[in-house]
Amino acid sequence: MSETNNLVLSMKNIDKRFTGVHALKGVNFDLYEGEIHALVGENGAGKSTMMKALTGIFPKDSGDIIYLGKPYKPGNPKEVLEEGIGIIHQELNMMDQLTVAQNIFIGRESTKLGGLILDKEAQYKRTLELFGRLNMDIDPLEMLGNLTVGKQQMVEIAKAVSHDLKILILDEPTAALTETEINELFTIMRDLAAKGVGMIYISHRMDEINQITDRVTVLRDGEYVGTKTTLDVSKEEIISMMVGRVIYEEPKSKSNVPEGAELVLQVDKLNAGRMVRDISFDLRKGEILGFAGLMGAGRTETARALFGADKIESGQIRINGELVHITSPMDAVSHGIGYLSEDRKRYGLATGLSVSDNAILASYDMYENGLFIHAKQVEKVTSGFVERLRIKTPSLNQLLKNLSGGNQQKVVIAKWLIKNSDILIFDEPTRGIDVGAKSEIYTLMNELVKDGKSIIMISSELQEILRMSDRIVVMSEGRITGKLSIEDASQESIMKYATMQKYKN
Amino acid sequence: MENLSKKNNILQNLSDIGLQRILAPAALVLLYIFFGLFGRNFFSYDTMVNIFDSSYYIGFIAIGVTFVIISGGIDLSVGTVMMCSAIIGGTAYKTWGWPMWISLLLILAVGIAFGFINGLLVSRLKLPPFIATLGTMMISMGVGSIVANVRSATFPTRASEDGWFKSIFKYIGDDGFSIPTGAFVLFGVAFIAFIILTKTKMGRYIFAIGSNKEAARLSGVDVKKWEMMAYVVAGATAGIGGISFAAVYTTVMPAQGQGFELYAIAGAVIGGTSLSGGIGTVFGTLIGVYIMSVLRAGLPSMDLQAHYQTFFTGVVVIVAVLLDIYRTQKASVIKIATPSKE
Repeated sequence: MSETNNLVLSMKNIDKRFTGVHALKGVNFDLYEGEIHALVGENGAGKSTMMKALTGIFPKDSGDIIYLGKPYKPGNPKEVLEEGIGIIHQELNMMDQLTVAQNIFIGRESTKLGGLILDKEAQYKRTLELFGRLNMDIDPLEMLGNLTVGKQQMVEIAKAVSHDLKILILDEPTAALTETEINELFTIMRDLAAKGVGMIYISHRMDEINQITDRVTVLRDGEYVGTKTTLDVSKEEIISMMVGRVIYEEPKSKSNVPEGAELVLQVDKLNAGRMVRDISFDLRKGEILGFAGLMGAGRTETARALFGADKIESGQIRINGELVHITSPMDAVSHGIGYLSEDRKRYGLATGLSVSDNAILASYDMYENGLFIHAKQVEKVTSGFVERLRIKTPSLNQLLKNLSGGNQQKVVIAKWLIKNSDILIFDEPTRGIDVGAKSEIYTLMNELVKDGKSIIMISSELQEILRMSDRIVVMSEGRITGKLSIEDASQESIMKYATMQKYKN
Repeated sequence: MENLSKKNNILQNLSDIGLQRILAPAALVLLYIFFGLFGRNFFSYDTMVNIFDSSYYIGFIAIGVTFVIISGGIDLSVGTVMMCSAIIGGTAYKTWGWPMWISLLLILAVGIAFGFINGLLVSRLKLPPFIATLGTMMISMGVGSIVANVRSATFPTRASEDGWFKSIFKYIGDDGFSIPTGAFVLFGVAFIAFIILTKTKMGRYIFAIGSNKEAARLSGVDVKKWEMMAYVVAGATAGIGGISFAAVYTTVMPAQGQGFELYAIAGAVIGGTSLSGGIGTVFGTLIGVYIMSVLRAGLPSMDLQAHYQTFFTGVVVIVAVLLDIYRTQKASVIKIATPSKE
């Protein structure tokens, strides 16, 4: 058989623009029958966008998709699935309260009496037969919610495969699995490959890519970097392809924190759930401490635990040398911590309220006499910060939902500055913000540390980490895998730690 | 064509700024004029007094329920709590022989206690507000009957020595001329509620919680405490409502009050309070309540029986909410600034 006969999918010069963002810039990708092909890249490199263009979530702007030798225009996701392209998302999309068999055949139930009555018997047999083909050992009558996450994922794979797939896309399928479960998953994947199913495997874990894939395609900032045979390429090469050589903004060359600056925050062996394991680090006065890592590394969870938003299981937190107990955001705020959430609309802002109401929300205690709010003082202080942070708003009474993302973010910052918090946790402070506002927020952060505030900055953008941080903590899978001074840090060294699996679950 | 769309834009902008705020009051005035023109004897002092008299108790609980709805919750128990507290107060006076003023304080205390229980159930025990207050609605109805031993409670008549409290809600002169003084009490309570909502920490927190509870929590707001306070306010207004009911109607029957909460909620909603929380005004709620009262007084004057009131109130509620949805949709369309294609 010649190679072209074996080609299941070929995507050429795929281009996609969203308002203001060029998400895919002429990306190429192809997939052979029975091949496992890794698609890798940093957060925001365009992997998901690419898969969404393939599965009909939204149309591509230009470029060609050839599927099974014919030009292909994906319809809606259901049609795409019926045509043989299935996708397993990181989060499972099934119903806990139904049985395994019901989940697999939902919408395609076996029936009898001309479609009037469900035929449970037949459905049970179909499920068993499907599991038999896939070498899965799961009881079709078990309630889905009673299975482990790993088993649930296999059910989802079985469900996809029951559609007679040519292509199976797996989007970080191992993120929630234990090592045994990962091995089981790989066995099933190899099995499917032997049956001729082509698989697109999205993952951040270099070891797994080595272990399971045949080829690797790397994307960066929406651009196609290249495709390599996995056997011929080292981990380091893939990482350097991912981060690229181009530096858009000068990274910080040395730390701005003076020698012997006092420690404002000491965290010792903090544990809180699966994603915060044995976290220990220090924060010095006037320092920007970068928290780097891939999505789902546990950085936000660490910040939330530190802020009292989620329950702390164990560990000690010292602020200015004193041991503190943080059990709620109220405690954290009273100890001078402010938190800027990565998802400001959900956790940071009351968008239905005004600029002034939001900015003063954490500080009413400072501007009331026990009975009434000092409206004049509130107006004075909020308008002062609106001016200082250059928040563009027609008035203090403007509802926050009518402001741009960058200005909304500044209102959240104003909230903590009015509260006079000394330790600021900035979780993805520039996400979804345009370039101009971004650099304003950088300038502001530098001003803040100059004034003696200390900042923990969580960011998934390596350039942002390198540009802003005095020191860098790298997390992976709920643990700290590396600590770097800015002088020693590079995109490569950070990525190395970020893709490291320090401990298996 | 272009001119037309420009004109439309101006109209749209106008409606976005002001219409919502003037719509309900305008509807109230128009309704009043309508009944005045087409009803019999509607433009009279007696009708006016009647409109005020019949709106006290719903007015009080509607103010309280406005607090709860702004906080993002709902209180189904205000009506039955009001009647429960009134009947307990009446029993205390008549059967237990308590002095009048202590009995009246008891009415207030019972209302606050129920509000407190609702607040605990919702804020600490995390019950959905609908379920928690559905439960206390039934409980309060039962408690009223149990305490009163399924007998009605009769408050003293105006002539008797302890009838002084009736003058708080209605002054009747020797010549039979009456002044609905209760309206002033209602306005006074409304003014205090307005001050609490707009000028105090508590009010601002209640708005913040209703607008985005999680964001409020992550700003260090004691969400549990202030969410509970919204229900306590509702309980307190139910208590005041109970006193007003006793003053106006004298006899309180057990197991009454069901359905009042829906009028209170309707009043708030007609007045522009959003059931998803974070939006609402006391003034709007009062307007909503008076729209219902005017309907109640006006329909009989057009030879339509009082039960048409429920029918038309339903229509008003639906129209008010539809207008609100339509308005916010239009606002968001404008915000996205899509080029018009006409």
